Amino acid sequence: MSVAIRLEGLAVGAGKRTVLGPLDLDVAEGEHVLVVGPSGAGKTTLLRAIAGLARPQRGRVTLFGRTASEGARIVLPPAGRGVGLLFQGGALWPHMSARRTLEFVLARRGVARAARRARSDELLALVELTGFERRKPGTLSGGEAQRLALARALACEARILLLDEPLGPLDAALRAELLARLERLQRELGLTVLHVTHDPAEARSIADRALFLRDGLLVDGEVTP
Amino acid sequence: MTGVSRPLVIAATTVFAVLGLAPIAVMLARVSGADLSDVLGSARTASLLGRTLWLGLATSAIALAVGLPFGFLVARTDVPGAALLRPLGLVPLMLPPLFLAITWTAMSDLRGAPAAVLILAANTFPLVALFSARAFERIDARSEEAALVAGGARAALMMELPLVLPAALCGTCLAFVLAVNDFAVPDYVSSVGRKFNVYADQIFNSWQGAGSSGRAVATALPLVALTLLTLLPALALRRSGAMATLGGDFQRPAALRLGPWRFPACAFCAACVALCALLPLGRLVWEAGGGARGWTAAGFRSALATALENERAFLAASLVWSALAATLCVPLALVLGHALERWRHGRKLEWLAVLPIAVPAILFGIGEIVLWNRDLTAGIYNSGAVILMLFVGRFVAFPLLISSGAVASLDRRLEEAGELCGARPATRLGRIVAPSLWPSLLGGWALVFVLAMRELDAAILVPAANRTVIFKVFNRIHFARDDAVAALCLLIVFFILLPGLLWSLFARQRLEVLP
Repeated sequence: MSVAIRLEGLAVGAGKRTVLGPLDLDVAEGEHVLVVGPSGAGKTTLLRAIAGLARPQRGRVTLFGRTASEGARIVLPPAGRGVGLLFQGGALWPHMSARRTLEFVLARRGVARAARRARSDELLALVELTGFERRKPGTLSGGEAQRLALARALACEARILLLDEPLGPLDAALRAELLARLERLQRELGLTVLHVTHDPAEARSIADRALFLRDGLLVDGEVTP
Repeated sequence: MTGVSRPLVIAATTVFAVLGLAPIAVMLARVSGADLSDVLGSARTASLLGRTLWLGLATSAIALAVGLPFGFLVARTDVPGAALLRPLGLVPLMLPPLFLAITWTAMSDLRGAPAAVLILAANTFPLVALFSARAFERIDARSEEAALVAGGARAALMMELPLVLPAALCGTCLAFVLAVNDFAVPDYVSSVGRKFNVYADQIFNSWQGAGSSGRAVATALPLVALTLLTLLPALALRRSGAMATLGGDFQRPAALRLGPWRFPACAFCAACVALCALLPLGRLVWEAGGGARGWTAAGFRSALATALENERAFLAASLVWSALAATLCVPLALVLGHALERWRHGRKLEWLAVLPIAVPAILFGIGEIVLWNRDLTAGIYNSGAVILMLFVGRFVAFPLLISSGAVASLDRRLEEAGELCGARPATRLGRIVAPSLWPSLLGGWALVFVLAMRELDAAILVPAANRTVIFKVFNRIHFARDDAVAALCLLIVFFILLPGLLWSLFARQRLEVLP
């Protein structure tokens, strides 16, 4: 199985201070890796560096064999990395309905106008939001909003899904439901998932392995759940 | 420059540089060492500067003393009529200060320095009230409840005051800046009573009397320094005032119960509104309907009809130029405000963005003349285009600060989500940022429209701007006062208030007019 994400000596800073790394990590294609760490450990920074939203200080990020960043140089822009990021809290565009959100993304990906409606309906069906086409984020429940955020990430033609505390605002029932959906989507679409959380219990049931991040460093190597 | 559209920022910066900075730069280039040493060494300069400083300090102290409690009462308490008093409290800020001057000097024996101070304070206290009200509203209910539990109302006040004070002081700084740069009020107060010279007069006289632009600029420099020294802390205070109180899961606090103080508090707020807005407007209505000769509804209607008939062209010109200027300012402010906030070094350039409002309007007007009154640009100089450029250049700083403030409170991840999907910076700005900021962008539009409609100080100098309706009023009150002048003032007030009135009638969201 090929390596989807390879991090070699990756370090990210805020100002002159290093907040993440240096760290090395390989994630195989189709694997679901859980990164657990306390607040401020650098979990979000790790995802942002892989997505190309944070500029590393040094090290290399390789995605499916293509160098995405080398040192502080961004080689592949965020939109060209085949990465979908489920932001903590969703970060949905408040003025766009569910359908407009997805059509906006599809338009950016070059999908022809005529095909956008059908594709957005497909994506909404995939996350079981059929019937919510005209609803704006403010009118969605926490679970529905997270599912729309997931559909948006998938609309980016993502092969790698980065999940930033995706279950944070949800209650136990919704957590279980979203986890089951994530597992199914991962299997059906062959996605590679890197999932960060502060809760060690979260997603252990579906993750292939779990890693611990503390003070920006992976601690004690890899831990199998 | 990541996250911002390079071509858009370069285009907007070029427009801002030509319209907002070039008139200042061209003036600065004319100052000679001799002019500077002449002006700075003069005892008259020191005395005028001292007097102007006193005017600014007295005005802003009164604005703070009135605006802070007014903002607190209408925003956070159960004072009766708060929903009405709050928008009415904004009206004095929208009225041209000249109108307050002509009405209050007619209604009372106020003259000289006290008149200028009180009129400018009446005009600017809503700034402090607006900033304070917003800051009071942004205190999280749980923080307030925690303080109440810990030590009652006194503890709550002690906890809230440091959070609100930066915002209130930011409004006070802006009140100071408006007061020290005002030309029309001291000029009018002097024309009806004891002479009260201020620094802006001196700049005007240096230009009109000696015709020397270098000397006028040299004269203005201490005032520019004074204004910048006030504006820069105001910018910093604006940030600390906005940031200190915003949380992600914000809970709006409940209205505080005033108990037996409800009606005295209501009387205080109503008195502020009455003295600063309703009485001056009432006086104009009275004058327009015949005044001392006996007020009649027919006379009032006739004066309005006459004013509209005679000054229709001036009124239309002011409306068109003001609306056009406001419309041009909005995209410019969006692009530059976003860049200031999102670009790594943007905040270091804020002082440059506020430079057009840091120089006295008189000086900006002279700069327009020096810049455009050339053979090559005579067509522009003699047309309405120069008015448009004057308004845009001078006032774009306000919507720019409003939009950068709004961008600061916009979740950066909304833009990052767009970036991940492949949306280019210009698309993200137009499709993600702008729709999220529309109350601020429309607020910026309304503010520029109001400021342009009441702009007089720079318009006095630029010949093409002499075709504005406010200039017409300024001219006529110095030579005659009749029913039609009062009626014309009322028409101007009506059009100034119209956008805000329409907004409050049809929109649910509040217009954001604060930086």
